[in-house]
This record gives sequence, structure tokens and C-alpha cells, in this order.
Amino acid sequence: MTETTPDGRRVLGLVPGKPVAGDRKEPDDQDLVMVWPHLLIRHAVAAMGILLSVLVISVLFDAPLRSVANPSQTPNPEKAPWYFAALQELLSHFHPLVAGVLVPGAIITGLIALPYIDTSPHDKPRHRKVAVVTFTIVIVAWIVLTIVGFAFRGPNWGWVWPWNEWHGEL
Amino acid sequence: MGMTDERTGVVARLRRTPVGKSIFRSPPRVTPRDRAAGHWSNFLLHIYPVKIRRRELSFRFSWYLGIISTVLFGSLVVSGIYLMFFYVPSPNQAYTDIQTIQTEVTFGQYIRNVHRWSAHMMVLAVAMHMARVFYRGAYKAPRQFNWVIGVILLVLTLLLSFTGYLLPWDQLAFWAVTVGTEMAAFVPLIGGSVQEMLLGGPVVGAATLLRFYVLHVAVLPSLIVFVLMIHLWRWRKDAMLDLDRSEADD
Repeated sequence: MTETTPDGRRVLGLVPGKPVAGDRKEPDDQDLVMVWPHLLIRHAVAAMGILLSVLVISVLFDAPLRSVANPSQTPNPEKAPWYFAALQELLSHFHPLVAGVLVPGAIITGLIALPYIDTSPHDKPRHRKVAVVTFTIVIVAWIVLTIVGFAFRGPNWGWVWPWNEWHGEL
Repeated sequence: MGMTDERTGVVARLRRTPVGKSIFRSPPRVTPRDRAAGHWSNFLLHIYPVKIRRRELSFRFSWYLGIISTVLFGSLVVSGIYLMFFYVPSPNQAYTDIQTIQTEVTFGQYIRNVHRWSAHMMVLAVAMHMARVFYRGAYKAPRQFNWVIGVILLVLTLLLSFTGYLLPWDQLAFWAVTVGTEMAAFVPLIGGSVQEMLLGGPVVGAATLLRFYVLHVAVLPSLIVFVLMIHLWRWRKDAMLDLDRSEADD
């Protein structure tokens, strides 16, 4: 049987009254939601937020430009870019083969192998303590080494306090 | 096909003209089914899944670091192309070109700042994205290989940043790259040849600048876009997976 709604659309049937009890459910984490608009609007806001930060930082701070490259005048300290500062700091403590090859090689290999080593299906931290603790130790060590190499090292890679003399370069 | 679109807005009416229909090709978005169809037939939206799990919407799920990394890459492409118009990768010209960009080129200093700070922020964002994915356990089956692709993207990001670091040809650039490439020499057996291949000679010089430039503006960006497409494609394919592990966890 076909009926017609007041605005002229044809439907199979209309059942008067309210939905039966239990018909409505609480929103759940695993519900499927449309990407447009729910995710896209959030991505748009995140995109505008990060672009606004770039704009503000770029208005406030100029990119560094030192004097022209001079191969005969080595600066002291010689600093690698900040994301290699941890490696450079390691190099000052260990044999180059360890700090420059084995450690970075082990980190990259370990990251690639991680999902094949840690095959437990759990994703709550309390059920995967070994993985979480190991990863956290590596990350924290890396951040500390980066900060030390970036800000706490001065001439001849000696220790300096960054509030006394600043040798960090971006 | 959806019901008749009765909206009277300008865009809705344009979409009903023959030209509008030829461009958009999707039914007017009246029902959820139309919305899904519109999604699939839109080039810009096709990199997204049609639906995702509700939990993925929240800030604490991802900190939005994936989209932030991608947007920063976009900012780097745009500002980088602008800088390319005014830059020649030769030791005689590179440094003065940067000075000219900063003093004479319209918005030159600002665009250079955008490029520099976006690059540092992208390294940070990509690294934090990796950490967030780890703590969420999102690298687990069946997504293992997309994590591997993510590690490759991290390495490519570092290489892009490092090759760009040399281009201003100032003391900072020259000696940072000298230190960085000296590390390559420590690799047993092949280290020396790797370093020489990177530098194009025994020390950082004109050949190094040209090599880093070509890697920075052509080779590495093409590579990272290609690998990023695979990364996003796999993310889209897996977005609707129902992996409720809370039962196994509790």
C-alpha cells in the first residue's frame, strides 16, 4: 500500500505514535558517523589552527641567517640540526660506530619491527606494560639527549647552562 | 538516486544546471545514502572514508597530529615553490639570494620564515604523531604495515629537513651538514662511499649544494607524496574496522 506525505512524497506506510521503548540508544565510541561534516569540520579547525600558529610565529621570529659559509673557519661548537642533537650527544660519549651507526640503526629497525614483535591484541596501557614502559624509556632518553645536545652544550662540546650562554641553533 | 532537491540557494540551483550536473555528478544531498554517494564521487573527498568510528573524532584520540603534519607539508610546498623562484643553488649565489629574498622580494622574509618554522614544526608533529599512534596501540593487526609506512615517512621528513638545512649556505648550514654527513662515514665498509655520494666530493662544496637542492625540491618531495598517498589510502581502507578490544581488555 502506498501513502503520500503532506509534502507530496510517496512512502510505503506511516505508523503513527512514538518509537517503541529501546529504539533509541546512547551514542557509543564504536558508532559509525559520517566523515562529512563531523570529521571534516574538525580537520578544518585543526588546519586553520596550525596555519594561524605558523603565521604568528613567522611574523614574530625571523629565520636565522649567519654569515656566509666559510670552509676554513670552523665554529665552536659545531652543531647538527636539533633533531640530530641526540645523536651528536651520543657521539661525544661512545665510539662513533656505536653512537653513529648501531644506535640509530637499532632505533629504525626496532620501530619497523615493533608491530611484528608486539603481537598482543590489547590496546589498554595496563595490559601492555612491557611495550609501554620500553617505548617510554626510549622516548624520554631521546628527548633528554636532544635537549642536552641542543641547549646544554657549548664550546668543545663542554657543559653550559643555557641561561648563562646560549648555543642552540634552529 | 535521492529525492527531488527543492533547495533554492544559489549553489543548489547552480548544481541543477546542466553544467553543474556535469561537474558534481552526485545526487543532491538529501538522504544519508546521497551523502555517501556524493562523497565517493568527489575527488577532494575521496581520500577520506565515508564514515569513521565516533571515537576517532575526539581530540584526545589523535591530537589531530596526522592532519596537522599534512597541512604543514602543504605549507612547506607552497612556501618552498615561492622561494624557488628567487634561489640558485650555487655557492656563489645561494647566500646572496637568501639576502635578496629577505630584503627585496615581496613577502620574502615572511615566506622564508613560514618555510623554516613549518619545517621544524613538521618534524615535531610527525614524531608526536608516531608517539600518539604507539600509545593508542593503533599499530596492531591489521594495521602493522601502515605503521611501517609511517616510519618511512618519518625518515623522509628528517631527510627533507636536513637537505633543506644546507641551502641558505651560511655558517650554520655548512657546518651542520658537515657534522651530519660525517656520521654517515662511520658506517662500516660502505660509510665512506655513502658520504662521498652525498657530498659529491670529499667535503661539503658546490656539488653537495646542487645534490641537496635536487633531493630537497624534487626527489624527496615526490617520494614523500607517493608514500603519503599509500599511508592515507590504507588509513581510509581501515577506518571503518570494528576493533572493539575493550572486551578483551576488561
